[in-house]
Amino acid sequence: MSKRSSIASWFYILLLVVAPMNAPAQSKEYQIKAAFLFNFAQFVNWPSGAFPGTNAPFCIGVLGDDPFSGALDATIQGETIDNHKIIVERSQNVADLKNCQMIFVSKSERKHVAEILSALDSKPILTVSEVDGFAERGGGINFYLAGTKVRFEINPGVAQSDGLKISAQLLSLGKIVQSAKEDK
Amino acid sequence: MNWLKKLPLKRKITLVILLTCSAVLLLACGVLAAYQLFDFRRTLVRDSIVLADVIGKNTRAALAFQDENSAQQTLSTLQSEPYVSAACLYDANGNEFANYVQSGSGVQLPAHPPAAGHYFELGHLALFHPIILNGKQIGTIYLQTELKGMYNRLRVSAGVALLVLLGSCLVAVLLAAPLQKPISGPILVLAEAVRNIAQRKDYTVRVPAQDSNETGLLTEAFNQLLAGIEERDKALRGEIAERKGAEGKVQSQLARLELLHSITRAISERLDLQSIFQVVIRTLEDNLPIDLICICLYEQNANVLTVVGLGTSGAALATQLGLSREARVPIDENGLSQCVRGRLVYESDVSGAKFPFPQRLAQAGLRSFVAAPLLVESKVFGALIAARKQTEGFSSGDCEFLKQLSGHVALAAHQAQLYEALQQAYDDLRQTQQAVMQQERLKALGQMASGIAHDINNAISPVALYTESLLEKEPNLSARARDYLGTIQHAIEDVSHTVARMREFYRQREQQLALTPVNLNQMIQQVIDLSRARWSDMPQQRGIFIKIETDLAAALPPVMGVESEIREALVNLIFNAVDAMPNGGTLALRTKISGKPARLAQVEVTDTGIGMDEDVRKRCLEPFFTTKGERGTGLGLAMVYGTVRRHNADIEIESAPGKGTTFRINFPVPAMPAGAPAKDAAPFVVPSRLRILVVDDDPLLIKSLRDTLETDGHVIVTAGGGQEGITAFRHAYERKEPFAAVITDLGMPYVDGRQVASAIKGISPSTPVILLTGWGQRLVAEGDIPAHVNHVLNKPPKLRDLREALAQTLSSTKS
Ligand SMILES: Nc1ncnc2c1ncn2[C@@H]1O[C@H](COP(=O)(O)OP(=O)(O)OP(=O)(O)O)[C@@H](O)[C@H]1O
Ligand SMILES: [Mg+2]
Repeated sequence: MSKRSSIASWFYILLLVVAPMNAPAQSKEYQIKAAFLFNFAQFVNWPSGAFPGTNAPFCIGVLGDDPFSGALDATIQGETIDNHKIIVERSQNVADLKNCQMIFVSKSERKHVAEILSALDSKPILTVSEVDGFAERGGGINFYLAGTKVRFEINPGVAQSDGLKISAQLLSLGKIVQSAKEDK
Repeated sequence: MNWLKKLPLKRKITLVILLTCSAVLLLACGVLAAYQLFDFRRTLVRDSIVLADVIGKNTRAALAFQDENSAQQTLSTLQSEPYVSAACLYDANGNEFANYVQSGSGVQLPAHPPAAGHYFELGHLALFHPIILNGKQIGTIYLQTELKGMYNRLRVSAGVALLVLLGSCLVAVLLAAPLQKPISGPILVLAEAVRNIAQRKDYTVRVPAQDSNETGLLTEAFNQLLAGIEERDKALRGEIAERKGAEGKVQSQLARLELLHSITRAISERLDLQSIFQVVIRTLEDNLPIDLICICLYEQNANVLTVVGLGTSGAALATQLGLSREARVPIDENGLSQCVRGRLVYESDVSGAKFPFPQRLAQAGLRSFVAAPLLVESKVFGALIAARKQTEGFSSGDCEFLKQLSGHVALAAHQAQLYEALQQAYDDLRQTQQAVMQQERLKALGQMASGIAHDINNAISPVALYTESLLEKEPNLSARARDYLGTIQHAIEDVSHTVARMREFYRQREQQLALTPVNLNQMIQQVIDLSRARWSDMPQQRGIFIKIETDLAAALPPVMGVESEIREALVNLIFNAVDAMPNGGTLALRTKISGKPARLAQVEVTDTGIGMDEDVRKRCLEPFFTTKGERGTGLGLAMVYGTVRRHNADIEIESAPGKGTTFRINFPVPAMPAGAPAKDAAPFVVPSRLRILVVDDDPLLIKSLRDTLETDGHVIVTAGGGQEGITAFRHAYERKEPFAAVITDLGMPYVDGRQVASAIKGISPSTPVILLTGWGQRLVAEGDIPAHVNHVLNKPPKLRDLREALAQTLSSTKS
C-alpha cells in the first residue's frame, strides 16, 4: 500500500464518521419525504389540462428553501409519470411555479401559506407542505411526523375541487382533513 | 394364476367380461383423474395468482408509503379464504413488510422471497408474485395455499368413480350371465359328455348335434372320434380277454411251480416218512381242488398197495370207499398195475370202468383220478392217488405237476428211509461203544473186588468152621456161649453174603448170557440189602434220613433174564434216586403186573428228589451224560438202558423238576413161565473116619479145617501148598493108604488148586476133589467148574456144606 493511498483511506474513514453529524436525521426524513412526493404523483390523477402539452414534463416545484438537499433529485432521477419526464423546479416565488403539477411548500414559506394557496387556488396543482394546519387551510397534503414515521394529512375536498383525482388507496393511508376556513 | 386355469368356463367368461369392463373403466377414470388433477392445479395456480394480484394492488400504496398497518389490514382480509394458510409481503429489498398466518396452521414464512413464480410443495402451493407500481417492482407477495381443497375434491371424484365402477361391474355381471351362455353352453354339454364317458367308459354315447358354427363342428368331430374309440375299445377288450386267459394259465402254472417248490422244501426238511406224506397230502388238499388224496406203499411180494397217508378233507369219501389207513388195495390189471410199473395213470372218466379199483371210486361218486408212482432208482415203492368228482378233473398240467411232485416225494421218502437206517446204525454203534466202556470199567472194579472178597473169605473161613463145629460138637456149652456163638455164626453168614453179592455184582460179564428165570421181588429185596450203605448209612452220617418203601405184587411172574445184570440196573437206579435226594426223602420200590394174563412185569423205582427238567429227562440215558460233574460218570443209566434193551424190556421215565422221578422198567413176561427146578434137599449120609487130604496155603484155614473135620471123626492130613499136597497124595497112594477125598484151595502160589486137582486125578481118577474157593460161586454160576474137580465150595465153608459135598462126591465117584 502506497503512502498516498493510505492517507486517502484515512480520509474516507474520517468522512464516514463525520457524515452523520453533518447530515442529521433530517436528511433521512427528507429522503422519505422526497420518495413520498414521487409516490403522491403516482396515486393522483391530473386532468389532461394540467399539462401544457403531451410531451410536457411533470414538474415538481419546491417553493422556498429546498430542505431535500438533493434527495428529491435522486428520487425522481430517470422516473416518469404517465410518460411525463419529471423535473424539479425551485423558486422563492410562487408565480414561477405556476406550470408545475405539484408544489412543495417549504417551511420557509410558513408565513405565506395563505397567499400561496390563494395564488394557486383552482389550479390543478397538488400542494404539499410540512406546515402544521396546511391542509386545513386549503392545502392538498401535509406531512407530519408520528414518532419517527412520516405520515400525511389529505384534504380531499381541495384536491378534488382543483380537478385532481386522488386514489382511494392514497386516501385510505392519509389522515383526512377538511378546509377549516371554507367551513367557517 | 393356477386358480384361473381351474375356473369353470362360465365363470371364466364372466370374469373376462368383468375384467375387460373394469380395465376400460379404470383407464377412463385414471385419465379423468389425471386431467382433473392437472386442471385443479392449473386453476389453483390461476386463482392464487389472481388473489395475489388483487392483494398486491391493494397493498401497493401501503408499500409505497411504508404503511405496515394498512398492509397488515389488507392481508388480514385473507381470513375469508380458507385454503390460504399464509401470506407475506416483502418490500423492494426483500424484507418482510407484513404477514398473515392462518390461525392454527403454524406456518414458517420464508425470510426472503425467491424468484417470482409458483412452487408445489408438500401439501401446499407457494406463490411469489411481484407487486408492480408504475412499471417498477416495489415488493413481492407470497401466498401459501393449502392443497387440501384440491384433494378433497379429488377424493369426491374418486368416490364417484368407484361407485360408477361398481355399478358398471354389477351391470356387467348381470349382462354376462345370459350373454356367455351361447359360448359356454355347447362346450359344457361336450364336457359333461366327456366326463360321463370317462367315468363309465361307455363309448357308445353320442353328443346331440348343436348349431352349425364351430361348436357344432366340434361336436360332430367329437362324435366321430367317439365312434373311432368305440371301435378300438372293442378290439382292445377282445385282446385283453385273450391276454388274461394266457396270463391266467401262466399264473396257474406259476402257482403250481410255487406249490411244488414249497412242498419240496417242506418235505426236504423232514426225515420221517409219515410226516413227509402228511405234509404232501395236507398241502395238496389245501391248494388243489382234489376231493380225495392218499399215498400208498407198494408191497411187491403181496402185490398190494397199503394206504399210509390219507387227506382229512376227503375223510368221509375215504370211509365210504373203505380206504382207511393201513387198508390194503389189491392191484388190478390195467389201472394200478400200470402205475406200479412206473407209469402215471390218468383216468378221465371211471363211470364205466371194468376194473375193481376204478369201480370202487365210481361208486363213491368220484369220476376222474390220477395215480402217480413213487419211484426210486426205477423201483416203484408206492403211489400217490388223487381223485375228483368231476370227469376230466385233471388237466395235462395237473398230471405233469403230480408226476413231478411224486418224483420229489419219492426222493424225499427214500432219503428218509436212508436216514432211518443211518440212525439205526448209529444207535447200534453207540450202544456197542457204551457196553464196551461199561465192561472195561466193571472189569477193573471186578478184579479188585474179587481180590478183596477172596481175602475176606479166607479170613473168615476159620471163624465159620470153628463156630459151627463148636455149636455142633462141643458138649457142656453154657447157654451164653451158645448164644454168642450163634450170633457169631449169623455175623459170619452176613459177611459171607455181603462178600458174595459184591463179587456177584462185579462179576465180569460174559458175551453169551444164559437167561434164567428171575424173581424180581426177591431181587428187589436183595438190592435193597446190597445198597444199604448208600441209602442208609452214608446219608445217616450226614444226618439225612431216607425212607425205603416197597410195594411188591404178590403174584409177580418170574421174567427171563440175567440176574446179575438186572441187579446192577436196579442198584444204579437206587443210587441215582439217593443222589437226587440230598435232603432226604422216600425211595419207593414197586413191582406191578400189567395186562391179563400178565404181559408185563413192571419194576418201579420212585424218589421224591429234585427231579429232572425236560432236557435232562430226554438225555439222561445217554452215556456220559451227567449233571453231577466230577462225581458222576454218566454211565449209570446208559448201562441200565443197555440191560433193558438186552432183555427186550423198555424203560419209562416220569419226572419234573422238584416233583421227584419214577423210572419204570417193563419186562416182558414169557409165555411159559420157566419154573425154577426145585432144589431137592435130599438127606445125605456122610461116611465117617475118612482119610482126607487138606491143601491150603493159609495155615489158619488148615488148622480150622483139620480141627473141625477131626471133630467129625475123620483123619486129616494137611499140606501147606499145591506141590506139597500132590507129593503127600502120591506118597500115601504109593503106601497104599490112599486118601478118600482131597479138599484143596483154589488160589495158591506156584501150584494152584486146578493143578492139584489134575495131578490127583492123574494119580487116582476116582478120588473126589473138592475145591474151596473165594471165587466159588462165580465159578459155579459161570459153569466154569474146572476139570478134575468134583465139587466147588465157597469160602467161608460151612460144615454142613462140607459134609454134604463129601457125601455126594463119594457116593457119585463110587457109583
Ligand atoms: N432219580 C433221578 N432224579 C433226578 N435226576 C436223575 C435221576 N436219575 C438220573 N438223573 C439224571 O440223569 C443223569 C444221568 O444219570 P446217570 O446215572 O447216567 O449218570 P450219573 O448218575 O450222573 O453218574 P454215575 O451213575 O456214573 O454215578 C444224572 O446226572 C442226573 O442228572
Ligand atoms: Mg447214576
